[in-house]
Amino acid sequence: MILAVLEPWIPAGDDLRMFLPELALVGTIVAILIVPLATGRSARTSAGIALLGALATITLTVRTVAGPLAGAGYAGMSPAGEPPMLLADNFSVFFKLFLMGFLALIIGLWTLRPPSDRLSPEHAGVGPEFFVLLVTSALGMSLMTGTLNLLVMVIAIETASLPSYAIVGSDKRSRVGAEASLKYVLFGAATSSIMVYGLSLVYGAFGSLDIPTIAAKAVSSAAPGGWVPAVGFFAVLVGIAFKISAVPFHFWCPDVFEGAPIEVTTWLSVASKAAGLGLLLRIVYALSSAGGTAPWMAPVAYGIGGVAALTCTVGNLAALRQDAVKRILAYSSIAHAGYMMMAAAIFMQGGEAEYRNVGLAAVIAYLIVYLLMNLGAFGVTAMVSWRTGTDHISAFAGLGRRAPWLALPMAVCLFSLIGLPPLGGFAAKYWLLFALGKAAVAAQPWLWSLVVVAAINTAISLYYYVRIIRQMYIHEDARQPAVPAPLGGVILVNAAALALLLFGTVYFGRLNDYSTRYASNLVGAQATVPSAAAGPAPGVAAVTLGSSDAPR
Amino acid sequence: MDAKLLINLLIFLPTVGAVACLIVPGARLVKTVAVATSGLVLLLSLMLFQNFAWWSGGDIFGPSYGEKLVGVTQIDWISLGSEPGAPAIQYFVGIDGLSFPLVILTTLVSFLACLASWNIEEWKNNRGIKGYFALFLLLETGMIGVFCALDFFLFYIFWEVMLLPMYFLIGVWGGPRKEYAAIKFFIYTLAGSVLMLVALVAFYFFAPAGHRTFDLVRMATDGAIQEAFASATFLGGLKFAHVMFVFLYIAFAVKVPVFPFHTWLPDAHVEAPTPISMILAGILLKMGAYGLFRISYPILPEAGQWAAYSLALLGVVNIIYGALCAMAQTDFKRLVAYSSISHMGYVLLGMAIMTPAGFQGAMFQVIAHGISSPMCFFLVGVIYDRAHHREINRFGGLWLTMPIYGSLATLGFFASLGLPGLCGFIGEFWVLIATFSAPFTWAKPMAIAAATGVVLTAGYILWMIQRVYLGKRREEYEHFPEATGREVFILTPFAVLALALGILPQHTLFNFMNGTLNQIVSLIQPGGPAATALSGAFGGG
Repeated sequence: MILAVLEPWIPAGDDLRMFLPELALVGTIVAILIVPLATGRSARTSAGIALLGALATITLTVRTVAGPLAGAGYAGMSPAGEPPMLLADNFSVFFKLFLMGFLALIIGLWTLRPPSDRLSPEHAGVGPEFFVLLVTSALGMSLMTGTLNLLVMVIAIETASLPSYAIVGSDKRSRVGAEASLKYVLFGAATSSIMVYGLSLVYGAFGSLDIPTIAAKAVSSAAPGGWVPAVGFFAVLVGIAFKISAVPFHFWCPDVFEGAPIEVTTWLSVASKAAGLGLLLRIVYALSSAGGTAPWMAPVAYGIGGVAALTCTVGNLAALRQDAVKRILAYSSIAHAGYMMMAAAIFMQGGEAEYRNVGLAAVIAYLIVYLLMNLGAFGVTAMVSWRTGTDHISAFAGLGRRAPWLALPMAVCLFSLIGLPPLGGFAAKYWLLFALGKAAVAAQPWLWSLVVVAAINTAISLYYYVRIIRQMYIHEDARQPAVPAPLGGVILVNAAALALLLFGTVYFGRLNDYSTRYASNLVGAQATVPSAAAGPAPGVAAVTLGSSDAPR
Repeated sequence: MDAKLLINLLIFLPTVGAVACLIVPGARLVKTVAVATSGLVLLLSLMLFQNFAWWSGGDIFGPSYGEKLVGVTQIDWISLGSEPGAPAIQYFVGIDGLSFPLVILTTLVSFLACLASWNIEEWKNNRGIKGYFALFLLLETGMIGVFCALDFFLFYIFWEVMLLPMYFLIGVWGGPRKEYAAIKFFIYTLAGSVLMLVALVAFYFFAPAGHRTFDLVRMATDGAIQEAFASATFLGGLKFAHVMFVFLYIAFAVKVPVFPFHTWLPDAHVEAPTPISMILAGILLKMGAYGLFRISYPILPEAGQWAAYSLALLGVVNIIYGALCAMAQTDFKRLVAYSSISHMGYVLLGMAIMTPAGFQGAMFQVIAHGISSPMCFFLVGVIYDRAHHREINRFGGLWLTMPIYGSLATLGFFASLGLPGLCGFIGEFWVLIATFSAPFTWAKPMAIAAATGVVLTAGYILWMIQRVYLGKRREEYEHFPEATGREVFILTPFAVLALALGILPQHTLFNFMNGTLNQIVSLIQPGGPAATALSGAFGGG
């Protein structure tokens, strides 16, 4: 149905076709703003439009980007002969589908709020702004995963961040929310400025904003030496580290997650990290596939690995001392970002595409599972805290009896977050360790230390996840009443739990097959050494970028 | 019935029973389903004897390790590469002389423990019965799966799958400090098993390309893999085999449990309900030893020799330390728990010796302890049900009020003590002899130190019997009813086996497993003193 409406509007040019999902999102934003002028402010209408927009974007992505363009890998939106601004490949298609699908689920989660709530669909104060901001941040995230141009990257990150700051404080009467929002802005502004500074250093050193061009130059004989490139790249990574809340740029995360409305928390915990990781992986694989190594690349790889190890350890240790479930899950999300970031340390593999792709595939597999786990865990937390008015861990006491169909999926999601078989979390962790092992044996033996760190962290994380389970099943608290939950919500979280069980058992291998397919043709990563850019083949030709040596 | 079908039934029938427990209405029916399921599994497992019929004179062990496995199912499960012929994670199950006695032990103890759960309503716990029996049967699937899995990945899955039911069984249906005990058990075991996960991944990738596999048998017998493991280095110069041996050792030592990883055990045992204690002591502790036998020693033989001294020393520490701790306990169940630690020390010591006699003794001790310790825990449970306390010093004269129970109790504790003619004796004696005659320097002092453990064991058990069962009749226990038919029914198989294994060790146990054990020893010492005088002297294959 959606497609039939959209069909006449699909443009013919490949560049425009590639950009269509983003255009659809922009159209959705405009529609959310304009329609209330005719119908009057209604949260339900806005939500409906946003949901339609997300579904339309999914349809367009599948219809126009996934097959013809991304299948071969396409780089476009570039002035003649210049490096591309945007890329389309299976990897970016995955992230578009992932983000839009999750956006639709978040809107669904929002509709489950009880009518008495200030942010509920029935409440008069809720308007289109919330959904405009939500969709705009989705637009930014979608762009983040489809570019290798440093300038577009910054624009994308800011497009994703600025609306996020605002929706964190969307409950205008919540002091905690306002404080969280402010904290988020300050942190975001600081890291953004560091990132832009680093970008200027990189541009100064290489005379290009295009990462494959930079990588090709960096490994050539005329590479600029000294500390400038390393510092520049580290500073650029700071901006990304902020998005994925990597240590030491994670301090905003627990406060923001606690203060924000729970749909926003869920959205940020998965989407923002996914987009950041997508971008990080793109940069890393573009750098590492340049056909050689520059002296500063090894420190960058060690740096990413070290930060990843630190991130999951700090996240897990800090979570041990929390009593609010939202904060526990916030720290847990920091830890999981750390696990996933480990795959970005798979570096310096030269031309061995097979080894690079296992890291990408592992992160994609992890993200799929991570989405389900967080959707389930946050979904149950949302429904419990809406009814009980608190997300303190004691609100979960006796939930196994008070709301068995909330407690069961919660337990499944938490065990999956620990990474216990036979659940999806184990499959995700296993494929991650498998990827690290594969790369470690091929070229980077130090990656084994990350394998050990990830394994030990699993044991640390057990305690705080099981604390919630203990409240639900072992604590006997006969006084507390049953927790009524909306049927839609119960179905949502139980479906997530069931999917986790399937990914841990029958779809264990299928998960890897899917993710390997989406990681298979990374545009920009296959860029060859500068001299190879002679024959311009259609489509993929724009990918071999190193030809123009002159700085623009 | 075909052994292949039989083994798959053994693994998955309890899961079917678990689902049935959740569906059927009524407490009595749930209990019946659970007991019937575990009983059926026991009967089916007994049919495996036809494949290990040593009395028929056939060769039941095959020429070398892994050549003759019973009831093998081997199907590709998860492909690890897109190209055809790529290695895959397999659903690979089967048994040999090492796992066969443990499978029988598992089904037996599970059935008896299930029967011991019959009075669950009287535990004053007010928690669901369906959940208990469903988790119990799920646990049985996990346990049988661990003993049958021959693919490392599958082994790991079953190993971890056991954790969740066990956590809830202790945590929900346990005693006053159940929450603490359950989480402690969970964290200790998981901390160990994540290191096994590292070994799981590393074993796969350190094998040379083209030989990569998760097949435990192949890893032990493939020369190229063995060579690669022996020469590789790990994380900056450490020997790969040594690091992996330590990782696996920690994973298994937590389960055994070996000092200093043992502290979860007394807590878990004291808080767990009686049937769960029986499972813990009878089967779960055995998994640590089984893991060492199945994975560590065959795959990393050189590292086993490297670690022999430390392991033997830890074994001796376990024996002495566990016995001394047991002596100091006033809680009856805690005493039995510490005695488990002490007895499992013999297992570790025997393994570390790495001779046929050492391995045989260790394995015999595993089975013997798997019979005597569930019996002891059940004996404690019987009087706890009546007295609702476990203070040793408050008991006395129970033999007079409960003569049948008293006699069975004395038999059980004597079996645990290692009285000649009962099962505990053979294992300990074998291990001590093997240690004494082992070809390394500190063997004799170690054997003597370990032998003092026997004296200490006799000390705390006799002292306990004196305080609990002997002495004057006490007023407050006068009304205690004699052991019921169900209780006697549960105790009888243990008592019979304790006697049988003690009197006819050769026929009841050694002949079923010695062949495989000797094959493992000859993997460890190719061309070495695999067939020492000892194995001849004691009739080991």
